Amino acid sequence: MAPTELIITLLQVLIFPGIIFLLGLAFVYEWVDRKFYARLQNRYGPLHTGPSGFLQPFADFVKLLAKEDITPQAADKPLFAATPILLLAIPIAALFCIPMTGLTALVSFEGDLIYIIFLSTLISMVTFLAAWSSTNPFSIIGGLRAAFQMLGYEVPMAIVMVCPAIAAGTLNISGIVAKQGTSGLWFILSQPLGFIILLICLLAEIKRVPFDIPEAETEIVAGWLTEFSGRKLALLRLSIDMELVFAAALTTALYLGGPAGLAPIPAIIYFLVKTTIIVLIMSNLRALFARFRIDQMVHGSWKFLTPLAILQVILVELAVG
Amino acid sequence: MSEATFQVPVGPQHPALKEAPENFMFSIDGETVVDVKARIGYNHRGIEKAAESRSYIQNIYLVERVCGICSIAHVATYTPAVEEALNLEIPPRAKYIRTIIYELNRIASHYLWLGLAGHEIGFDTLFMYLWRDREIALNILEQITGNRVTYAAFTIGGVRRDISSEMAEKAKNGLSILEERMKYYKKLCLNEPTVLKRAVGVGILKPQDAITLCAVGPLLRASGVKSDVRADDPYLVYDEVPFYVVTYGGCDVASRVLVRCDETLVSIGIIKHALDRLPESPIRVKAPRIVPPAEVVSRTEAPRGELIYYLRSNGTDKPDRLKIRTPTLANIPSVCKSLIGGYLADIPIVLAAADPCFTCTDRMAFVNVSNGKRWVWTREQLRRYSMKWHQQN
Repeated sequence: MAPTELIITLLQVLIFPGIIFLLGLAFVYEWVDRKFYARLQNRYGPLHTGPSGFLQPFADFVKLLAKEDITPQAADKPLFAATPILLLAIPIAALFCIPMTGLTALVSFEGDLIYIIFLSTLISMVTFLAAWSSTNPFSIIGGLRAAFQMLGYEVPMAIVMVCPAIAAGTLNISGIVAKQGTSGLWFILSQPLGFIILLICLLAEIKRVPFDIPEAETEIVAGWLTEFSGRKLALLRLSIDMELVFAAALTTALYLGGPAGLAPIPAIIYFLVKTTIIVLIMSNLRALFARFRIDQMVHGSWKFLTPLAILQVILVELAVG
Repeated sequence: MSEATFQVPVGPQHPALKEAPENFMFSIDGETVVDVKARIGYNHRGIEKAAESRSYIQNIYLVERVCGICSIAHVATYTPAVEEALNLEIPPRAKYIRTIIYELNRIASHYLWLGLAGHEIGFDTLFMYLWRDREIALNILEQITGNRVTYAAFTIGGVRRDISSEMAEKAKNGLSILEERMKYYKKLCLNEPTVLKRAVGVGILKPQDAITLCAVGPLLRASGVKSDVRADDPYLVYDEVPFYVVTYGGCDVASRVLVRCDETLVSIGIIKHALDRLPESPIRVKAPRIVPPAEVVSRTEAPRGELIYYLRSNGTDKPDRLKIRTPTLANIPSVCKSLIGGYLADIPIVLAAADPCFTCTDRMAFVNVSNGKRWVWTREQLRRYSMKWHQQN
């Protein structure tokens, strides 16, 4: 690899569309989510820092960094310290495989869809480990709930993530995006059922109302997050935002044609608009529902989501022929 | 405790108990509650004792501070007790104004509760909307009494402020909005699937258990038992205004929600009726400061259930003994009963469904459980005990 090429790749990974860009996007989407959620509830939402409170998520992050970092005496210390970093790294690693600025992602290889399914499972596993390592009754219940929840949403989610791959004939996300770009037919139009199931499963994956069961505030304090404080909590909150970016980007890539759009406007604009729409849909759902109970969630996803996801696969298979 | 169970403390500090520190120790098997032990007494304020060193007039403002949400209920139970001991009849207009303020307080309390119930099941939008609309009720109260929380509107022998006709008009406008909103929320609670999933069949309290465990208020009425002090033993003007006792037979959280929704609507009807028929008379009569020796029990239907005051006077300007039985204290055994066998996730909503107001509840007594012996400690003994405890721990 030539030195200039190396530098460009390095800059891409570190700055655009790599880590720095993604961190910025995470803060922006947290603001979009908070503001929209607040307006739906007839509140103002963040107002103080920056115009319309635009910098509030970043200010919260900086404030948390400065706070005291307490590790419980009984905690499994290495694991307790490692999980926040892991939880932030996993969604970033997954986002590298999703095209944002053009038809090809930063990292692209045949089978990267399987890799992303694996990473999304890993998020729940690490969440469980984080809870387990903090040895607090509330954390452990939260962690167990996160694991149970994973048993519920993971199968239908993996199935509907494969549907676009079958339709596009490739396991490469960039390939799926390219297929939608060339044919001009987004998969949301041919597979609306799959899109809805994926959105519901992603809500469960990123633990938002009505699936915020692992951190249900009024039941188990902060659930799996209870013992984390200071820098660790800052990283965990950032990782939750990053998961939101990941969920929006993944849905966009698989069902909304990714960054593909008409020529003169740069692809990144299409990507930002589409992901923002997904974030707004998720905020809207957050304001609409009460929290499910864990048994209701697992029950519902096995009774309704999984059969519907299998139906979607059959329909796609029939259409592809 | 078997090996399979897991102890989960809820309280003294817990997000589901925002208002006051109480402790519920749950034995959990998986997500199922096997057993629960309630422990109250974290916020003992000594109000009953303090009442003995204050005059009857000063005590009005003391008992008003027993509870922040149903402050009127306490004053409205205390003042009739003193008036009964004085053998004093209050003017009819004062009775009507007292009824209006009492019912407004019930509306504010039920709105607050329904919002909190939404919050407990993770439905924050409902919480925000209800608390926004509750402002209307608080504004009417502020207009009539001058205050939003502790109204200081009652006095022995009547009320301190009159309701003018403009006030009545404004209040009626506000009440119409409240009525419309509450009908909407009731419809929402009956139709929203996630709310129904969390409320129907949750926290079952059978009518027989409710009666055996002495449940009171909406908790009892949601188990289908028709019991309301306003109807059973009418005070103020409840025998003159048209109203009915709301009961639902579901015995679950959903019924408790519906009972409170309907009670709010009934209260709005009572206030509108009373505002239209305010009799012309003075609003208070002069009451003597010295109360002759007497023993009085006074009870009213507070937003949370039957509230009982026992007053013993000794011929001075200070009560000899004032005993308060708040509805939450009566409801704790029933709540514990309805929690057992439920899910861990349902604890907050079942706890909240009794509309607990723990700070009003705290009592302290020494009892030796094995032989039933009771005793009292002086302040000095308490102090010595606490010093010894701190040295040992």
